[in-house]
Amino acid sequence: MSTDQTTSMRRKPRLGAVLWLAFLIFAFAFPYLVDRPKFWIPNIGIKSIWLGVVAMSLVFLNRYVGLLSLAQMTIAGISAYGAGFVIVKMDGPIMMAIPIGLLVGTLAGFLIALVAVRTKAIYFLMITLAIGQVVYSFASQSIEVTNARRGLAPIKREDVGFMHFTELHIFYYVALIVAIGCYVLCRYIAATSFGLALQGIKDSPERMSALGYNVNRYRIAAMTFSSFIASVGGIIMVFDRAQVDPDVVALPATLDILIVAVVGGIGSLSGVFFGALVLTLLDNFSQNLTERYMTLTGLVFIAVLLFAPAGLAGIGKQLSALFARLKGPTIQDAAEADPPQTSPAATAEDAQETQDELSKGSQR
Amino acid sequence: MSKHEFQYSKRCKAGEMTQFLLITFNGLTLGAVYFLVASGLTLIFGLMRVITMAHGTSYLLGGYIGYVVVRETGNWILGALAASVGVGLLGLLIHQLLIRKFQDDDMRVALITLGLSLIGTDLMLAAFGGTATQVAIPKALQIGVELPLLGTYPLIRILLLLIAIGVGFGLWFFVNKTRYGAVVRAGVDDSQMTAATGINIKVVFAAIFAFGSALAGFAGVAGGSLFPLMPGQDGTYLLFSLVVVIAGGMGSIAGAAIGAGLVGLVSQFSLVYFPTYALVFTFALMVIVLAVRPQGLMGKATV
Repeated sequence: MSTDQTTSMRRKPRLGAVLWLAFLIFAFAFPYLVDRPKFWIPNIGIKSIWLGVVAMSLVFLNRYVGLLSLAQMTIAGISAYGAGFVIVKMDGPIMMAIPIGLLVGTLAGFLIALVAVRTKAIYFLMITLAIGQVVYSFASQSIEVTNARRGLAPIKREDVGFMHFTELHIFYYVALIVAIGCYVLCRYIAATSFGLALQGIKDSPERMSALGYNVNRYRIAAMTFSSFIASVGGIIMVFDRAQVDPDVVALPATLDILIVAVVGGIGSLSGVFFGALVLTLLDNFSQNLTERYMTLTGLVFIAVLLFAPAGLAGIGKQLSALFARLKGPTIQDAAEADPPQTSPAATAEDAQETQDELSKGSQR
Repeated sequence: MSKHEFQYSKRCKAGEMTQFLLITFNGLTLGAVYFLVASGLTLIFGLMRVITMAHGTSYLLGGYIGYVVVRETGNWILGALAASVGVGLLGLLIHQLLIRKFQDDDMRVALITLGLSLIGTDLMLAAFGGTATQVAIPKALQIGVELPLLGTYPLIRILLLLIAIGVGFGLWFFVNKTRYGAVVRAGVDDSQMTAATGINIKVVFAAIFAFGSALAGFAGVAGGSLFPLMPGQDGTYLLFSLVVVIAGGMGSIAGAAIGAGLVGLVSQFSLVYFPTYALVFTFALMVIVLAVRPQGLMGKATV
């Protein structure tokens, strides 16, 4: 496979697409491939999906804005609490709970962004972590809103019209389609002029600011969008767990998302689902091997950071680079070393826009 | 920890003034522990521009080492020494094996140390179990002293406050008045230029990392003599020292002292007056500081 990849540049993307398609087919066939659906679908399948969606929101921010946020699980948890509040405390219907949950989560993300965006890099990481802890301590102590440690339960799925959400298979497929929708939305946003501006800000905030972009406003907008994606993950989570309690926004849950993103590949929007699958499998089956599940997870995490910084999604590329190096340097190596580019059309558009901005600036 | 504090302050209802003073002292002694933990973190960050997420783990490990050594020998000072040396050496090992290579990649260092903290937490849980323990303090120190206006106050808390003040001044003297301190400060300002003057900056980095870890280990014994040691405390102390360092300004010893005092006071006062939301207030302090002064109270504006 790997030699195949190196021999022809033109066949590479097709191979990637084939792998993608294989994974997609696997995901769709998943409920029928497993021996105990009652265990596999919620504990591995749906959990991987929501972990992946929340981690995707983290990867989006990291890849396109250059911000590593540890508040994504917090935001997902807030949207889960929002939906749970409507169902448990207000006895509202599921169709009202979902939009309210999404709204609450996105709004919370916007407010977090207002504070966090003032800081950069490692400071941003720390402040999002600390804000997450504020939410956790609030969730575990506020009896009126979150039922404190007991949490909000039960949050049952309901049938809505012809959608039989109570059916585990249906819920799985809906979650899967929603997750694919999130992926497509992230890719779409990244390719719009807004997304290109974000990438410009990631590469050189000073230059973008000199071009007249309000850098902080773009960052806030990007964080709000990623909060929406995280909120979607939170909604899937709340119906998967059938309850929401402070553990959802606790430190270990936050770290889980980070592990998923890093193991899957911190630069890859689709890689997160591999990472999520690895984590859920470790979570459920490592007891057979060892009692020290966290140690094992930590070792996997560090190993990925040390030896495969691009995560599982980057391993194919790493292997082919290794093979190429063994075979001796070729021209293709140089081409391969280039980071993945956006489509030429989009780049041209971006250049055009930059030109426009420039002329606007000179007219002033 | 919090419940104990709360009951303690509740017991003394000898008047508003006394209670106010008592909370202030409790806040300051709590801040003293935070300062001991955070000063190591701020020193490492100030010099190397990396943040170690395993700092809370170093604190807890130090506490456990101290607990075991004191239990076996009955000597508190020996326990503190063993914890400092043990955690310091472990820090040196971690720095040499895992961090040195990625010195310039602060995100990767943060993530690797986060992974280490996961492993450390789990292994300590396996070794010491989930129940709370405490470092035994010598009988002679388990007394109260009479203070004006305040009444009886535990001697050990006052000693801890003095130790923290002593460490603070020691660090300040070391960094600002000695030749080694000058090397460290030069490294903070421009590590490449410092290396160019013939100083082996790698040795300085390694030494500071080990020293910062040793401080966390020592803090574990000091804090573990007052507050319980148990799983979860590593995360708590990591977060509180992050808050202290962010609020005080990264890399500044004075900032860490001010930040630790503020965090200790805010958490104690809110614990008494708004017990439900004490933690929220403490973190809100950091958010407010950052909103007004993103570089922290004593931080340099360049970051």
